Amino acid sequence: MRLLRTLLAILTLGSSLPTLAAPGTVVTTDQVRAELVAHAPQGVVAGQPIWLGLSIAHQPHWHTYWKNPGDSGLPTTLQWTLPEGVKAGEIEWPTPKRLPIGPLVNHGYDGKLLLPVRVEVPAGFAADSLPIKLHAEWLVCKDVCIPESGDFALDLPARAAWSPQAAAFDAALASAPRALAGATASASLTDSGLQIEIGGLPADWAGKAIELFPETAGVLDNAAPRQAAWNGNRWTVTVPLSDQRFESPQRMDAVLVPAGGAVGSRIGFAIAGNWPKLAPAAAAVPAAAPLPAASTAPPLGLAAALLFALIGGAILNLMPCVFPVLSLKVLGFAGHAHDRRALMLGGVAYTAGVVLSFIGLAALLLVLRAGGEQLGWGFQLQSPAVIAVLAALFTLIGLNLAGVFEFGSVLPSGLASLRARHPLVDSLLTGVLAVAVASPCTAPFMGASLGLAATLPAAEALAIFGALGLGMALPYLAASLWPGLARTLPRPGAWMARFKVLMAFPMFATVVWLVWVIGQQTGIDGAAALLATLLAMAFIAWALGTPGIGQVARAAFGVVGVASLVLALSWMLPAFQAAASPAPRTGEAGPHWQPWSEQRVAELRAAGKPVFVDFTAAWCVTCQYNKRSTLANAEVMADFAARGVVLLRADWTRRDAAITAALAGFGRNGVPVYALYGADSARPPQILAEILSVREVRDALARL
Amino acid sequence: MHNNTAVRLASIVTALGAALSAPLPAFAAAAVGQAAPAFSATDTSGKTVSLADFKGRTVVLEWVNPGCPFVRKHYDSANMQATQKSAAAKGVVWLAINSTHAGASDYLAPAALAGWMKDQGAAPAATLMDADGKLGRAYGARTTPHMYVIDARGALVYAGAIDNKPTANPADIKGATNHVNQALAETLAGKPVSVATSQAYGCSVKYAD
Repeated sequence: MRLLRTLLAILTLGSSLPTLAAPGTVVTTDQVRAELVAHAPQGVVAGQPIWLGLSIAHQPHWHTYWKNPGDSGLPTTLQWTLPEGVKAGEIEWPTPKRLPIGPLVNHGYDGKLLLPVRVEVPAGFAADSLPIKLHAEWLVCKDVCIPESGDFALDLPARAAWSPQAAAFDAALASAPRALAGATASASLTDSGLQIEIGGLPADWAGKAIELFPETAGVLDNAAPRQAAWNGNRWTVTVPLSDQRFESPQRMDAVLVPAGGAVGSRIGFAIAGNWPKLAPAAAAVPAAAPLPAASTAPPLGLAAALLFALIGGAILNLMPCVFPVLSLKVLGFAGHAHDRRALMLGGVAYTAGVVLSFIGLAALLLVLRAGGEQLGWGFQLQSPAVIAVLAALFTLIGLNLAGVFEFGSVLPSGLASLRARHPLVDSLLTGVLAVAVASPCTAPFMGASLGLAATLPAAEALAIFGALGLGMALPYLAASLWPGLARTLPRPGAWMARFKVLMAFPMFATVVWLVWVIGQQTGIDGAAALLATLLAMAFIAWALGTPGIGQVARAAFGVVGVASLVLALSWMLPAFQAAASPAPRTGEAGPHWQPWSEQRVAELRAAGKPVFVDFTAAWCVTCQYNKRSTLANAEVMADFAARGVVLLRADWTRRDAAITAALAGFGRNGVPVYALYGADSARPPQILAEILSVREVRDALARL
Repeated sequence: MHNNTAVRLASIVTALGAALSAPLPAFAAAAVGQAAPAFSATDTSGKTVSLADFKGRTVVLEWVNPGCPFVRKHYDSANMQATQKSAAAKGVVWLAINSTHAGASDYLAPAALAGWMKDQGAAPAATLMDADGKLGRAYGARTTPHMYVIDARGALVYAGAIDNKPTANPADIKGATNHVNQALAETLAGKPVSVATSQAYGCSVKYAD
């Protein structure tokens, strides 16, 4: 009995094995009944197409997806295994339905669905049957989603008609979107999205709401409301772009379904215009932050430029380069307080000297520029010779003030009395002197004015420089015209001698600075040589100018002095020459700072690195101040390091055409200039203020 | 300096004008390349977590729903956990977010969600509950999983799928390119992200209607 049962079991097992192993044409799950179907009314004939398909019957409330599934979901996929030469085409998707789910929108099907596929039978086909294998995958969702798949097989007899689902096939093919005859469509990209215009639509569509299903996924926003309008038989719709768009196609196809219609129409259109940049590079602009400063100076009206030049000039008086000279003039007040008219004239003369010098310097700059020289403001201080002369001048003035010698004793008496008789000329020349030393100190407000001036016609440019001069002379002029000030000064007395000596010290301080600049330009040798020269000059000045030495002694000292001067000059001049040979120092290297070059900036920006460039010069006091305060601040350096900012220094102490050109690119003519480039190479750099504050740098870095 | 003042003034006026004239979007506004929307949400242990807490760090947002077969594809195969761990090792903050509304059939209470994450060996810095869907809508999260990468400067640098094989089959993970790993490697190296958006695939996020 047990043996019989075992045999029976084996037999039934044996007979059921083939059906278990071989896939059939139907796969049923809890959500769908999927069936491989075929439509071959003439059988499988060589050279004739047949239709295959997957029929899906959805359980209520379940759906599968269209070729563009929308915001979520996956389209059904069919993988055919067919004999050699038999080619299956793409799925002829029936018209989809819009399936909203909360704020999202999908495109798909529910109820009964058939996905037909056209199959080409090759010319040489002569077999008795066509073995068909299908692996299908579909995602079926209600509120949850279930990815399902099925394996199907069908042996289609070749010489018999096979069309048990003829009606279903006909219906499916009828419901596939058809090309719309006579319709023309075009699309263009606008600020609010893709604007699609379709003309030649059927008359019975006019005025109806039309559903538009794009066939390409990942381009258009599926859920956002769309603006549509009819114009006769033209329909225009603007569809917003997807916020996570990853395609930028030149052409797209879409299915249009008019309200109340079940079958859609297919339309294709070319897309004109430029796609907004797909996901720009890593740098971000936080939406709420203010815009970074433009790299080129915004257009300034001439009046505004003149005003700013005036203010900038006034501020120049506070610069350490100008103050000692100004102190000389303050001294002059004390001496002439009783003579108001002289004071006024002196003030006017000083102003004239300053304004004329500025204009003269500007004219020289423009002329040289026109001649092709790469010059910028402060250019005169890029030459060691000029600095040496200035240092000598200040030394002499300082010594004079300190009482080491009197001008009267040094200069030929004729010249001395000339100076006394022409205090106006004296004032004028003081003005010239002030300008000569003040020009390299680029104060706030001056940068843009000068940059603009360089681009204006000569007359306007000179007007701006004149305004600068006026601004600089203004405090002194105002003081000289205001009688009250002169009267508040104490009457001349013994105190004046002490005051005079006191004023020597700012002079010497300026000399120290100039020696340092020379040191930067020509090295320690050049600086020492200059000091030696100054010493020799001081000795000569004392020898010739101090009262109370006999003629013989004076002559002897003078000879010694001149000899030592010659010696010093013979040391200094070659030292200057050696340093004058080009090898422009574009910046000192250091633990943090690298030398600047246009190419280096381009390389770093191409690599997506943020860059901070410090355009500086040894003779620029503002630059040195910033260097030692803000740019040495630990927090600022830490911020730089944290953001991976590469620090470049462009040293303009000596003439450098490349740096001059770069400055011109920022609309600037002098230093300092601080440029912060972000990682996005498309954005211009932020230009920071000339007097850097820690807060400003940190804010700028935060905005990167 | 007047350059800065004038430009700042202009930008303030423009921003005001734009703010007053732009209509409020119904869904999503986060765009790759822009600042990632700020947010504050409660995690599964009841603590409030904000994006601002992680200022200066790279952050990954992962929309998760244990009921979704696509999420399970990446969790059952340990792919998501491996991605989370490798991100954490690089100092990246990983936030898992569930935006399923309370009435959905596959809604999980915070404790249950935390338990599932623990069972899976998942290693996010926090799992955030977004039952009202505010966070999901702000980011335009459509599917589970849906991945976002925010760089240290607060910009959204990647939004899309975890990888480039949109199927539910775990066997497809091996041959696929993991977009999140790639985006993180590029962002942390300071390079622009090569694939910044991709088609997010998965089950739809179960927002309330």
